[in-house]
Amino acid sequence: MVVVTAGTHEDEVPPADASAESDRAAAADEHESPRPATYYHLARAVLYREFLVFVRYPANAVGGIVISLFFFGVLFYGGQLLAGQALADSLEGIIVGYFLWTLSVGAYSAVSNDIGSEVQWGTLERHIMTPFGFAPVALLKGVAKVVRTFLTSAVVLVVMLLLTGTRLSLDPLTVVTVAGLAITSVLGLGFAAGGVTVLYKRIGNWLNLLQFGFIVLISAPVLDAPWTRFLPLAHGSALLQRAMVDGVRLWEFSAGELGLLVAVAVGYLLGGYVVFHYATRRARRLGVLGDY
Amino acid sequence: MGDTAPAGRRPATDAGDAPRDDTDEAGDAEPTTTHEPPALVVDGVSKRFGSGEDAVQAVDDVSFTVERGEVVGLLGPNGAGKTTLIKSVLGMVLPDAGTIRVFGADVGDGRRAVYADVDAMLEGARNDYWRLTVRENLRYFATISGVAPDSVAARHDRLLDRLGLAGKADTPVRELSRGMKQKVSLASVLAGGAELVFLDEPTLGLDVESSRTLRSELRRLAAEEGLTIVISSHDMSVIEDVCDRVVVMADGRVVADDTVEALLGQADRGTVRVTSVDLDADTVASLRTRFDVRSVERNGESVSVELAVPGAELYRLMDALREADVTLDHVRTVEPDLEDVFVDLTDGERGLADAPSERGWSS
Repeated sequence: MVVVTAGTHEDEVPPADASAESDRAAAADEHESPRPATYYHLARAVLYREFLVFVRYPANAVGGIVISLFFFGVLFYGGQLLAGQALADSLEGIIVGYFLWTLSVGAYSAVSNDIGSEVQWGTLERHIMTPFGFAPVALLKGVAKVVRTFLTSAVVLVVMLLLTGTRLSLDPLTVVTVAGLAITSVLGLGFAAGGVTVLYKRIGNWLNLLQFGFIVLISAPVLDAPWTRFLPLAHGSALLQRAMVDGVRLWEFSAGELGLLVAVAVGYLLGGYVVFHYATRRARRLGVLGDY
Repeated sequence: MGDTAPAGRRPATDAGDAPRDDTDEAGDAEPTTTHEPPALVVDGVSKRFGSGEDAVQAVDDVSFTVERGEVVGLLGPNGAGKTTLIKSVLGMVLPDAGTIRVFGADVGDGRRAVYADVDAMLEGARNDYWRLTVRENLRYFATISGVAPDSVAARHDRLLDRLGLAGKADTPVRELSRGMKQKVSLASVLAGGAELVFLDEPTLGLDVESSRTLRSELRRLAAEEGLTIVISSHDMSVIEDVCDRVVVMADGRVVADDTVEALLGQADRGTVRVTSVDLDADTVASLRTRFDVRSVERNGESVSVELAVPGAELYRLMDALREADVTLDHVRTVEPDLEDVFVDLTDGERGLADAPSERGWSS
């Protein structure tokens, strides 16, 4: 990480930085000295950008919330007509599942669409060409998206509860941790899809259909088919149901259950990142990185 | 090289800072300057896309060096390999062969270290976020390039001021005009303090005034801040105006690498353009047999002929015209500009002598 700009004279060496710099600063009539950015600066910059876009363009967020609620309305009232009491019995489960689905879709499409957009704008390269390395930057951007998604999904959740008069256990620590880890695996899928989009620009849109596959994962029969716990979302969804419907607290889950939740999250995130890494490397070889 | 360096004077993330003044100060001590690795060394770089019959040799054994503080023009017709070469330097394309060094660091390994020092504005790329304001973009991309944004706030103000963007600093980029956007794109590239920047068509879409401001700003950045700039453009006036040196590529190869003056100097001097209504087909044909006729242009009644008549040839031409009873309306010497040189270099085979009247010879 060191670019050796060789020193000149002995006497110039140690103060070279300071003196030459102050000369320049003086010449420019100001007193500044560029300092290296830390990961703190990076995190702040990425989160602040997300915040700005969120605040400045609330229509996007509000639109997402309205659409989510509309679909839930259709599901709820339509379901009532069709299933009546049967639906009311499983309503809590449906609300939790729907909450997790909006979170998943938010996290997934945020990452994969974001990568697609940044490819178009020519800003992705600038994130790849960063001295921080792409991985931390991409991860922070992903986290920023997840934070944003949590906010909108929380609104959807509250409205759903009010609308249906349902009560759920909402221990913030438990819900945020379990749901957060559950959708971390989706974040990984988002990165993988983003990588494929970098290589094959048109496929990106098709990959958005994966979002409907999340419904299957969220409602996976983890009790009947335990192997499904290793799929993204499935195990996290089961834990979230128990947390929110049965009121199980985070520390009341067994270490094995929590361990598997973390393992699945980290596993898919790493897997997604590896796919992204190799996809961009292949894009470099093919020369398609930065084609607009 | 650099073995006598006491230490890396700065971490790679500390972009925007390396004072290069010492090169000037140590001007009398020749050997010391040779220790500083050049801003860019491209050595034997080749890149082929595709395979079999569809394979395209985009870059073919290209080598050149760009010294610190130099402003170099990278020219070539479309498909000459400029963009592939630039992307190779940026690590966005992996070359098949050759090495690229940026400030002494091999782009092939330890890529990340290099990125603090190099940035690029690629053609067609927005390069920034249209939803953010101008200043927010500068701060964001400075951070991404490894510079703490507060520490360069004053520099950003100066940059915006010089580019005439100060009044728009807090306006979202999407609300700006095209020319303004182009300038924001440039500003965001310069915001992180990269010391080697690639600018692809930097003046595209700018009006005359903005283009002029931009050029003078580029010259100033190179002269005062030691910024090393590689500009790729089809606008020869920009290149002629800003660049010290020009690297011309054609078919993936470097076909010329010289100063602007030297390139202009090697172009044919002593070209004159004579215009007359008396220049009929026979006369022109007879001129062709005796002189190096560059182009013939008919404009209504009058005909203009451009001929290369170095030295005493000019007198012979005048004699010949007198013999043919040609009354001259205009005689003008034609100064070759960079565009002529460029066309000459990149269009070698269809040389001028072989196809004299085919191509308009811009002047």
